Amino acid sequence: MKTEHQPILDEQTRRVNLQQVINLLGPFLILAFVVMFFAIIMPGEVADTFFSAYNFKLILTQTVVVAIGSIGMTMIIVSGGIDLSVGSVVALTSVLGAVLIKSGSSMGMMILAVLATGGLIGLLNGVIISVFRMTPFIVTLGMLGIARGLTKRLADNQTVNLPDIALPSVGLLMADPDPNGYFVAPGIAVVIDLAIIMALVLNHSVFGRYIFAIGSNEATARLCGVRTRLVKLSVYTLSGVFFGLAGLMQFSRLRQGDPSTALGIELDIIAAVVIGGASLNGGTGSILGSMIGALTMAVLRSGSTQIDWPNYVQEIIIGTVIILAVGLDKWRQSRGRQ
Amino acid sequence: MRLLAKIIVTGRQIFYGGWMKPFLHCLAAVFIGLFCSLSVTGAGKNLTIAVIPKGTSHEFWKSIHAGAVKAKLELEEQGYKINLIWKGPLREDDRDQQIAVVENFVARRVDGIVLAPLDSRALVAPVETAQSVKIPVVIIDSGLKSDRYSSYIATDNYHGGQLGAEHLANMLNGNGKVILVRYQVGSASTEEREAGFMNVMTNKFPSIQIISQNQYAGPTRDSAYKAVQDLLNRYGKEVNGIFAPCEPVTIGIMMALRDMGKAGGIVKLVGFDAGTQSVEGLAKGDVQGLVVQNPMKMGYLGVKAIVDISQKKPVEKKVDTGVQVVTKENMDQPEKRDLLYPPLDKYLK
Repeated sequence: MKTEHQPILDEQTRRVNLQQVINLLGPFLILAFVVMFFAIIMPGEVADTFFSAYNFKLILTQTVVVAIGSIGMTMIIVSGGIDLSVGSVVALTSVLGAVLIKSGSSMGMMILAVLATGGLIGLLNGVIISVFRMTPFIVTLGMLGIARGLTKRLADNQTVNLPDIALPSVGLLMADPDPNGYFVAPGIAVVIDLAIIMALVLNHSVFGRYIFAIGSNEATARLCGVRTRLVKLSVYTLSGVFFGLAGLMQFSRLRQGDPSTALGIELDIIAAVVIGGASLNGGTGSILGSMIGALTMAVLRSGSTQIDWPNYVQEIIIGTVIILAVGLDKWRQSRGRQ
Repeated sequence: MRLLAKIIVTGRQIFYGGWMKPFLHCLAAVFIGLFCSLSVTGAGKNLTIAVIPKGTSHEFWKSIHAGAVKAKLELEEQGYKINLIWKGPLREDDRDQQIAVVENFVARRVDGIVLAPLDSRALVAPVETAQSVKIPVVIIDSGLKSDRYSSYIATDNYHGGQLGAEHLANMLNGNGKVILVRYQVGSASTEEREAGFMNVMTNKFPSIQIISQNQYAGPTRDSAYKAVQDLLNRYGKEVNGIFAPCEPVTIGIMMALRDMGKAGGIVKLVGFDAGTQSVEGLAKGDVQGLVVQNPMKMGYLGVKAIVDISQKKPVEKKVDTGVQVVTKENMDQPEKRDLLYPPLDKYLK
């Protein structure tokens, strides 16, 4: 028996591995395509500065908020859910940070409070979704309004400005420490570290595999003994902490609490995750892919600005790339099945 | 425990695994190559100037764009070659997006940036970065809470409010009851206009009574319309004159006065800024005066200032582009016509 089955298993494993490699490379191909596209059409003097170390650092800095958000969003989308409240949570936590610093709280306390608030909203989303079995789309759409409203209340409907002495320490996370060299803003290092940790958690921990199991087939996962409610609750809570962290980065970048910030950023984040190879049906997706997806969006944006295309061209191009990326993904999947 | 061991092992594989090394070498080589090319700079009469407004779809910003193009055309006649880039934030009124636009032009090493900052504080950091890599930044329209810019070219809003108050008081012969409808909390330019108005009304015209001055109209024409309807419901019978500190509020008041049958000069209305609708109100006689700014001049002087800086000529740290009152009587004079109907088509094809 055993010897008969061995070759079939081997072939299956091989095919899966090949499939995984293609899935992993997909987002890189899109990024490479975008970079090459700019390299070809950019006039010489624009290309010189676009493909510079300074600009590379700049693009990374501009990616930080979306990248951190997409780490959380990847977990949620892999589990078969969605979170539309990210933009509002980012605004709420960044305004909360500004209010706390203004009222004399220490940096450490502020960071803890910001992360905890993000986690709390995630927990609330998770409870409603998993305990009351409501659709994530609707629950988080409601939370989008609630969190934005709370933000405006907290900010008293205007921007929260800080005393001048607080600005350098607040801006530290996202400020370029070394404009002429290769050191990057601490926020970028935070993103890379977190992405590595979360990629390992998602792929190699029991918790991570449960998330994939739920996203692939929730009923089967439950029958196999996965405590689906608890896992989903944890996914939304943990992601909430990441959204809080994204809010902290946004606060550090603006160096003020702006209640209208990050409007619609959830769509950028979802786009980054989808370009990164995730399926909105759940069960597939990778942190690395999402990071590359976020970077692709930032490269597109930066390139279109520096080549001085009008904004509408930029919006049309980014929209097209999203559809192409998903189309590419579908095509890969249909080939994989044959 | 097993998980931890696995994480460490996998991490080591990623960092010390052979495939990472050639990749890093390539990356380093690419960086060094690019860094060298950074030091090549253009100079002389060939200039790339980025003009960054707060948004791109309002008439006010189009006038600034037209002014910038006018400066470009004039400079090109003098033998300069100007590459003018007009670029607003992708999402209008989004500070983060405007910061990104400024940063991207710093990365592109343009020769100068003309910026209308969306926020007096949020834009400080990118402007200071630009100055630290020797890219001159000229601030137009709204102030920046920093002194590390090259020049600030804007309307004297306080003076505009004073002019509006004097015009309104003279029409009322220094007597009567007036209302000031404020715009929005936290908007610096309109707050200055309101302060200028209050200053003249209380100090120069003691027999004019201000019956309401603490109501805010909100950001849109619709919110202003509703707020003014409520206000006129209470004070409509006794009010003689109203002042509005910006365009949406002017329109809201005009519509509410028309509803009540008090338009056409029964209640005098002095507004601020020239837009299609407010100018139409002026021509019809429903608005008795508009305090107008000169946005074209801001765009024009902004671009000129960058060129002056590049030629090492001194520039003024603060430039006032002037405000004036336009009425139905003087609106056909040529220089007023240019303010009311800026020649956008001539410059923006």
